[in-house]
Amino acid sequence: MRRGGGSTSPRDGGCDPALRFSGVVHRYRSLVALDHLDLEVARGETLALLGPNGAGKSTAISILLGLQRPQEGDVAVLGTDPRSAMASGKVGAMLQVGGGSGLPHGVKVGDLVAMTSRLYRRPAAVERTLERAGLTALADRQTHRLSGGQAQRVRFALAVAGDPELVFLDEPTVAMDVDGRRSFWAMMRGFSQEGRTVVFATHHLDEVDAVADRIVVMRGGTVVANGAASTIKAAVPTRRVRFASPGADPARLRELDGVDAATVRGSEVVLDSLDADATVRSLVASGVAFSDIEVTGADLEQAFVALTGDLVDARTVDDAVAGPVSGVQTGLVP
Amino acid sequence: MTGLGAFLRFEVLRLLRNVRYVGISVGFPVVFYVLFLHNEHPAAHIAGTTWRTYFMVSMASFGAMVASLNAGGTRLAAERASGWTRQLRVTPLPAWSYVTTKIAASMVIALPVIAVVEATGLLLGGVHLAPATWAALTMVLWASALPFAALGVLVGFVASGETAYPLVTALMFLLSFFGGLFTPVADLPVVLRHTASFLPSYHDASLGWAVVAGRAPALGDAGVLLGYAVVLGLAVTWRHRVEESRAFA
Repeated sequence: MRRGGGSTSPRDGGCDPALRFSGVVHRYRSLVALDHLDLEVARGETLALLGPNGAGKSTAISILLGLQRPQEGDVAVLGTDPRSAMASGKVGAMLQVGGGSGLPHGVKVGDLVAMTSRLYRRPAAVERTLERAGLTALADRQTHRLSGGQAQRVRFALAVAGDPELVFLDEPTVAMDVDGRRSFWAMMRGFSQEGRTVVFATHHLDEVDAVADRIVVMRGGTVVANGAASTIKAAVPTRRVRFASPGADPARLRELDGVDAATVRGSEVVLDSLDADATVRSLVASGVAFSDIEVTGADLEQAFVALTGDLVDARTVDDAVAGPVSGVQTGLVP
Repeated sequence: MTGLGAFLRFEVLRLLRNVRYVGISVGFPVVFYVLFLHNEHPAAHIAGTTWRTYFMVSMASFGAMVASLNAGGTRLAAERASGWTRQLRVTPLPAWSYVTTKIAASMVIALPVIAVVEATGLLLGGVHLAPATWAALTMVLWASALPFAALGVLVGFVASGETAYPLVTALMFLLSFFGGLFTPVADLPVVLRHTASFLPSYHDASLGWAVVAGRAPALGDAGVLLGYAVVLGLAVTWRHRVEESRAFA
């Protein structure tokens, strides 16, 4: 049930999408934050929202949480308006905090989670929420004694305490180390696999790759790319395959699948590839001797930079296989 | 609205578990009462009652004020800085509930603070009042704490984490001293006597002084306090709105 409502058009009336922006425009004085934003997220989907600062992400988020009203266009969250959805307790959110922990002092983790649960009509059991967030052992700890990563997990627990259908996470792993991030996403994955919708924004693009069903890249208040991670990465020459191969022939390497450019420096070979998987497969099949292979480069990051800068022509990023909800625009908007 | 009850209970418990806060709110008025009780003869007549009773009323007002200013002020400023107020906005709690719950929590704490000072007057000060007078005094002083609860929350919104503490301390000093809570207003220089009539702290204690002297509380005092409560409440609401629109813009 990963994409529960994915095949159902909202017009069928059966299952509304988790959220839908249609033609949303929002301006701050002369600055256009959202420029006719159209976006739809199916129930059960895990969506990553990317974009540079000023792309309109924050505005879109505050509108979908009911904190701001759009000046033009329509926004529906779980089939109703954002404020009603929030008041109904079916939406949870983990917002970014500035310098602080985002938590009140003078309270134990368990008591804070318990109080937050009581704000919701049909909350999850407190023990379940603590377990979900990996906080069972920290239930008796005072909030001001938590590390940055632990505080972050408590904020995740608060976001899911109400057993929400839709969770929004803004930069959820920002204060975590690598291990913390890994276990956070494992925890989140478990949550989303229960058929819930998760929308998250992050700057750690490697996480997006591993976690999201679909990625939406925003720029200038509108969607510039929309599709699975592999699709978006394929839109730009992003991957770099590096290995050692003494005496390799650059011309032959260029023949390999997906290779866009090949550089040979001594025994070190660097291939720029549009599809690293295919390149590695054909490298193996070619019989070229190699060792110490690594696939590096910022892959998605490079794609992201290209998409949000002006580096890529308006080539279509089409996600034919894992196509998102019908009606959602898939492609690079020039 | 079970959520509101849970949130209020949470806020009150958080205040009560804070040893420093409880120490200041209860300790200050009780210690000052015991210390300054003998500045005059406890049985000396003043404003239709005895000094021990008059000063007990002063310190009960003072305690409620200290508890209210500290409940909002410093802690609220720190919470705003930490991002907790934003997190609360993305729960089903309605937007107005944050401010109202803060004020309500202050009021919940003010009542036992008043009671503790009264108990000190009874047990250590030798204050004797009819049960109905005790009850009336408690209710009048409690209701009069409302503008201070609103003021505490306002300070928490206006000040930052660093400036809240000195601001609360200054307000505590100014309101109590110039409001005649330590030195009876009649003993203050003429200029300050006029100043006192503008301060909510003076009108708060005046209502209590009237009750213990067997006089009817003056409507003027109640009116000034109500006016302060309304103005400060509106100011808090306005600051809250401004902050919200800023935080999410």
